[in-house]
Amino acid sequence: MISPRCLTVFSFLFLALSLPAVAQKSSPAKSIVRVNATLQDYNFIRPWEKGAPVSRRGLGALLEGNRVLVTAEMCANSTFLELEHPSSGARGTARIVGSIDYEANLAVLELVDKDSKALEGLQPLALDESVVPGDTLEVWQVEDNGDGVSTDVAVLRVDVGRYFIPDSVFLLYQIKGSLQARSNSFTLPVVKNGKLAGMLLSYSSKEQTANVLPAPIIHAFLSDLADGKYEGFPNLGVSIAPTLDETFRKFTGIEDQKGGVFISKVVKGGSADTAGIREGDVLLSISGKPIDSRGNYDDPKRGKLSFSHLVRGGAKVGDTVSAELIRDGKPLSLEVRLTRKNPQDFLIDPYMFDRGPKFLIFGGLIFQELTLPYLESWGDEWTNRAPFNLVYSAADPEKYEKEGRKKLVFLSTVLKTPSTLGYESLSSIIVTKVNGRAIRDIRDLAAALSTPPPDNALHTIEFESYPKVIFVEDRLSRMVDQQLIQYGIGQLMRLD
Amino acid sequence: MIVPRLPVSAASLVLAFLLCTSIRLDAQQGTTPVAPSASAVTESELTELASADAAQTDISEIEFDAIVRVEVDTKQPNYRVPWNIGGMGSGNGTGFLIGKNRFLTNAHVVSDARLIYLKAVNQPQPYKARVLFVAHDCDLAMVELESEDDFEQAFKGIRPLHLGDVPKLNTTVVAVGYPVGGERISVTRGIVSRIDFRGYSHSAVDNHLAIQVDAAINPGNSGGPVLQNNQVVGVAFQGYSGDVAQNVGYMIPVPVIQRFLKDVEDRQYDYYVDLATSFLNMLNPAQRRAFNLPNDGSGVMVVHADAAGSAGGILKTRDVILSIDGHPIASDGFIEIDGERVDLNEVIERKFSGDTVAIEIWRDGRRQEVSVTLKRFIPYLIQAMQYDKQPNFVLFAGLQFQPLDRNVMGAHGITDLRTRYFYGFYSEDEIYRERPQVIVLTDVLPDSTNTHLQGYKHMVVDTINGKKIRLLQDVYDAFYGDFHEEGKEAYHVVRMIGENRPLVLMRKDAKTAHERIDSQYNVGFDHFIEQPEILQLKNLLQPNDAKAKETDAIKEGVKEAHENPSTPAGNAATDSPSEKKPILSR
Repeated sequence: MISPRCLTVFSFLFLALSLPAVAQKSSPAKSIVRVNATLQDYNFIRPWEKGAPVSRRGLGALLEGNRVLVTAEMCANSTFLELEHPSSGARGTARIVGSIDYEANLAVLELVDKDSKALEGLQPLALDESVVPGDTLEVWQVEDNGDGVSTDVAVLRVDVGRYFIPDSVFLLYQIKGSLQARSNSFTLPVVKNGKLAGMLLSYSSKEQTANVLPAPIIHAFLSDLADGKYEGFPNLGVSIAPTLDETFRKFTGIEDQKGGVFISKVVKGGSADTAGIREGDVLLSISGKPIDSRGNYDDPKRGKLSFSHLVRGGAKVGDTVSAELIRDGKPLSLEVRLTRKNPQDFLIDPYMFDRGPKFLIFGGLIFQELTLPYLESWGDEWTNRAPFNLVYSAADPEKYEKEGRKKLVFLSTVLKTPSTLGYESLSSIIVTKVNGRAIRDIRDLAAALSTPPPDNALHTIEFESYPKVIFVEDRLSRMVDQQLIQYGIGQLMRLD
Repeated sequence: MIVPRLPVSAASLVLAFLLCTSIRLDAQQGTTPVAPSASAVTESELTELASADAAQTDISEIEFDAIVRVEVDTKQPNYRVPWNIGGMGSGNGTGFLIGKNRFLTNAHVVSDARLIYLKAVNQPQPYKARVLFVAHDCDLAMVELESEDDFEQAFKGIRPLHLGDVPKLNTTVVAVGYPVGGERISVTRGIVSRIDFRGYSHSAVDNHLAIQVDAAINPGNSGGPVLQNNQVVGVAFQGYSGDVAQNVGYMIPVPVIQRFLKDVEDRQYDYYVDLATSFLNMLNPAQRRAFNLPNDGSGVMVVHADAAGSAGGILKTRDVILSIDGHPIASDGFIEIDGERVDLNEVIERKFSGDTVAIEIWRDGRRQEVSVTLKRFIPYLIQAMQYDKQPNFVLFAGLQFQPLDRNVMGAHGITDLRTRYFYGFYSEDEIYRERPQVIVLTDVLPDSTNTHLQGYKHMVVDTINGKKIRLLQDVYDAFYGDFHEEGKEAYHVVRMIGENRPLVLMRKDAKTAHERIDSQYNVGFDHFIEQPEILQLKNLLQPNDAKAKETDAIKEGVKEAHENPSTPAGNAATDSPSEKKPILSR
């Protein structure tokens, strides 16, 4: 079943914390930094514009080396970042170190001016990765006056779940406890024995429960970042179905096995695909850890945990894991070299930050590459409100991938100009060819439109659906483009 | 420009509401368009209109006894639980006498009717009536009293109303009927505001000429006459709800009424015909130059002629059509008829099944003349509201299968994107060629044998036991006939489109589960299968897969246990193996 991917808006604020590893006893006021961010999102409907800047205040955790750990969400599409001393209030401009990982929802900041006093006298936090269900942790906050506050919370369970990007899941701690909103937000450092155990992501005041982004993921992120070449968390690239159904187990020939999950989908070009895992296989174990019929393995410390943690919980891109499978009733062992598919590697980018949507304006025709954020700009109900042909192509892109397309180029809207007379009402149509050339991405389109066809200087633009084909004049379109610039459209294209 | 057939969203139709009052005893069906809510009526307008031309408002020759209250008891079929009898309800509208024992009203007033009574103003007693003809595609119906004696007694000497013409803009009209707010007949007055093509919300997919008036037209007015100068100029039928518009009511104009009356002269309604072709305007100079056409403001470009439509195989993408039946076509798709600028489809609107239309086209730089024989466009019915029908389904071991249509989408609240694609693009992508019926697993009645299959609801079925599912009948045949996947004889295997995990049942368990579920869930009968109208397009449909022979053999065995309900009229026989009467088993 194709389920609509929804970007749930967290009803909580995010703070980042940091805790470094030092022998002295740390305390909230000594290891937390305020983070002031100014964010400015790109406008996906009018891609030459950016939206209104918004300010956001949060907390970061100080790490070794005067670096401050924050959630990626705190810095998404940031235009200005600032660190602020919790008690003195000294401020310093900050910048992102290395890469942001939006999937793992983590980023590290450092001061631009090393002489700034924003971190003066603060002590770094070390990481504690030993958390198990039943532990008591402290959530750290800072009052307006700079005093630290610590609240005890209990770890209910350890599981995997989503952080920030809808289809991306990682290890999570679920905690329970009563927290108060203080001056900033609810993204707070969570501490065990004076060491950073994780960062609080979201808090439900009704349930009094919260999710914590745990130290093992922070650790993996930091060590990836350390070598200066950030590669990100690997992905197996499969969808699974449980095998609790006894009839189905018999049918698949795994009734004598202990567990196993059915591989219902294999992402083209992903780790599993490259390793030779096929749809219809049953996955029995990864790295020697047996997987039960729900898709969990037995973690010695944490209890039952989704097998995805075996891939995303610390393994690195380039690592190899072993997989035991059943195919057509017979056992099969494969070595899977773990890779990562970046958002740009998908036909439809699942998310896009810190760069604008790619587009091209030609005589008032506005072309774009389709991305999920474009569809999500229709709001929470985007699967019902966005143009259905685009929603469906995003949900089922295989047909277009098979055609050899790298991106889906579509006519998003038409500005009324002398060149687009009669075409004003067209919108949301997928482009197939321009002047006879197949359009696989926006660069193809730019190239196809760059020179007027010699015979009549008319560009022929073909679409997948209504109106199938339109024609525009080369010279008139270019004149119109110049006028559009005069009217204030800052740029006619963004191809990178 | 002519708007392309845009299948996915019914948004533009949401705002229209129908004007018969209705009380439903069973609220489970969320899809029926009959809205009982009254719209706000402003009182200020009528006084200003008092000075309007007295002749226009003259209805002195109209006998109110010719305008009847239509009282209807309905039974709405239940597409959610298809073996249930359905919700009982009642409603009323208006009708009027147009000939001897012939009353005209709206189709939506008498749709899904169990009992119909007509009641005249000055008669104490309602008389039992029945539907003679119903046209769901233009929301008109003809009704008669069941007893000629009743008619003679009650309507003796009452003169039928006469049809007038299309009224001019800004002339006064009078609506008469039995709207909410009281029991007795009601008269309201307003002017003609607009004459245009518009969606008819009863079927949710048809567009015809409609006239907008600002007379108060309220629930209950439906089917009533709108009069001018003692003649009928329209049938009140729908309003416009929402905050954005006020004083907006619509009536079905005389050309549509006359077409209906002419169509049924042969005692059978043959539906509207359709070119089923989309066009693009030719306003753009570059586009004209590309076709080597002069800048004379004529012609529209053919975008797509549906293969199953009248023009399929005749008109091609990038043809330019220049005239239709001699009417020159302007580059915005309008033509001139009787001095009025109207959509070029108006020519088609006035024609009947089997008529031809002459079209002048510009193809490969040359003028050509083509003739198109007009017929109904059947694939669009998947998105049309269905009335007066019993839901088709097969229930097997708790798995409920139904052919996809608008009623099924609504009743089950289907949001699955792939299923929405099959629904929305059935015509445009010619899905019907491969799957004349799109069969959806609409429900799983929980039982120990199928408890893990709940998550696969609302998906489209690809194969069952190796048999490709093109029709609902195939579902029945695949379960009860000699079909199995290679090496999996012990199982029933259902495969869904876009899902690799098959749904499997043990054959030996399925049989007992079937009986257990039927009794536990009060399933009166476990399938109801009719031949779908789409089979009339047999030349376009891909042939069924092999094993047709076996299917026939199985049918013989199945048939004896069933009684046959009446076959719906108009279903042509086909050469497919499903050529059989509908089956209803207990």
